[in-house]
Amino acid sequence: MKTLVRLEISRSLRNKKFMFFSVIYPPLLYVLIAGRDSSGNMPGLPVDLKLYYMVAMAAFGAMTAVLMGNSERIAKERETGWVRQLRLTALPGRGYVAAKIASAATVSLPSILLVLLTGAAVMGVRLEAWQWGAVALCSWAGSFVFAALGVAIGYLATGDAVRPITMLFYFGLAFMGGLWLPMSSLPGWVQDIGAWMPTHAYTALGRAVETGEAPQLSDVGTLLGYLVLFAGAAAWLYRKDTRKA
Amino acid sequence: MTSTHATAPAVEFNSASKTYGSVRALDGLTVRLYSGETVALLGPNGAGKSTTLDLLLGLRNPDPGGRVRLFGTTPRQAVTGGRVGAMLQSGGLMEGVRVRELIELACALHPRGYATEQVLAEAGITELADRMVGKLSGGQEQRVRFALATAGDSDLIVLDEPTTGMDVTARRSFWSAMRAQAATGRTVLFATHYLEEADEVADRVLVLHRGRLLADGSAAQIKAMAGVRRVGFTLEMVPDGVLEAQLRALPGVTELDLAGAAVRLRSTDADATVQALYALGLYPHGLEVTGLGLEEAFVTLTSRAEETGHLTTDDKDKAGIK
Repeated sequence: MKTLVRLEISRSLRNKKFMFFSVIYPPLLYVLIAGRDSSGNMPGLPVDLKLYYMVAMAAFGAMTAVLMGNSERIAKERETGWVRQLRLTALPGRGYVAAKIASAATVSLPSILLVLLTGAAVMGVRLEAWQWGAVALCSWAGSFVFAALGVAIGYLATGDAVRPITMLFYFGLAFMGGLWLPMSSLPGWVQDIGAWMPTHAYTALGRAVETGEAPQLSDVGTLLGYLVLFAGAAAWLYRKDTRKA
Repeated sequence: MTSTHATAPAVEFNSASKTYGSVRALDGLTVRLYSGETVALLGPNGAGKSTTLDLLLGLRNPDPGGRVRLFGTTPRQAVTGGRVGAMLQSGGLMEGVRVRELIELACALHPRGYATEQVLAEAGITELADRMVGKLSGGQEQRVRFALATAGDSDLIVLDEPTTGMDVTARRSFWSAMRAQAATGRTVLFATHYLEEADEVADRVLVLHRGRLLADGSAAQIKAMAGVRRVGFTLEMVPDGVLEAQLRALPGVTELDLAGAAVRLRSTDADATVQALYALGLYPHGLEVTGLGLEEAFVTLTSRAEETGHLTTDDKDKAGIK
């Protein structure tokens, strides 16, 4: 199992194209959205706009990389039959899911760090040392949840259906969880549903840190719950996958 | 291992069927394979070979009522316990890694994995070790798959059409690698549609056709069963009446065609037929015995089954198959 985790990580690092775009696009989007000259607080929030989007984009970029990367790659591996071959080994389902989360996390970490670096160096965001560390850690650890979801989607869908289904989850979760716009600016019913989304808990972690507080335990709990749910579903689907790709 | 496991057959199918929609890919297969046997699973495309192997490996479950056991346990238990090494026709390889890394992974995942270099050497792919997996030829990929199947100390090796995409030389070295595996006392089961491969390598051949087990015997028995020969001759003095019945009664004769003095017949045992012909006091002229090619024989065997639905017991008696 350790060998598989190691191999998946080095594979991710070798996939230079995917790595490059996954890493480069969140900071780029951040600079585009938050702009250099805009200043002041987010409407309705006691948070600086540049800081707000730095945290949001770190989370959003990480989520994109792990969700897209995992679901599409896994669907492809099922198609080529590699997963069938792997199922003829003693590898348990959780080992497979752990390896996939690890490989996704390899891509999301540099993307998060680059957004934070852009925030500090280009956008002039100022935070306490512990806050930098906490934002990085929360964004990274939280992305594991979506990596697990990516594995599960890779198992639910095949071939051409993977991308649209991934997109559906991706946009739905990002929008309703308040990754693009603050939750307070969304319609009431979206807020009600959104409050239960893993993305909501995910952004809430960073939000707490940026206002100088410790992340809420309830949000950590929500994320852990989703991680167990998604990873469990993914491991179960891996074991149960009797369909031919 | 308990003593029951020690005596359990390596593979046991008990009226196992598999239906996909309206297609019955496997129809009530009952067969047992024992430790140390090298068994060929022979059949044309669509005969149910891959389905059989999928059930065997626990990649699919048989329809209700059927059962598949490996070493007295479920296929999954056998796989998890490292008792089975398999090479799938449909098994893709992990991309973006080197051959050595992939084999290292297989060795690490096996509960009794061998050393990577040893596995590479035995599969004859040491020189490919540093190549990227995505950049291999079809035949090279097959050898990498073989290495995956033999990465640890398994009791059963399962190979699905292992020589697909290999040239003659590669094929030869592949089979010698496989014989080495069998020589260590392992049970080897391989699917093929090449009769020669079954003949050269296997000590037991299962012929599968349209999801049914058509024949089960040694390669020689199968060949005899399929290896019908044409016997042609003319008779100068034709004693009326009794002749046709007499010719039909000759040992091995399955078909008879009389056109005046010209006799053409098909026999499963041409030697015995001809010998009995002389013993009858007949004097055949221009005697010709021609064999069907192996492929043709195989076609005969399967098409005969297609006509009748299964082989007649008569056929089986002639070939000495139970």
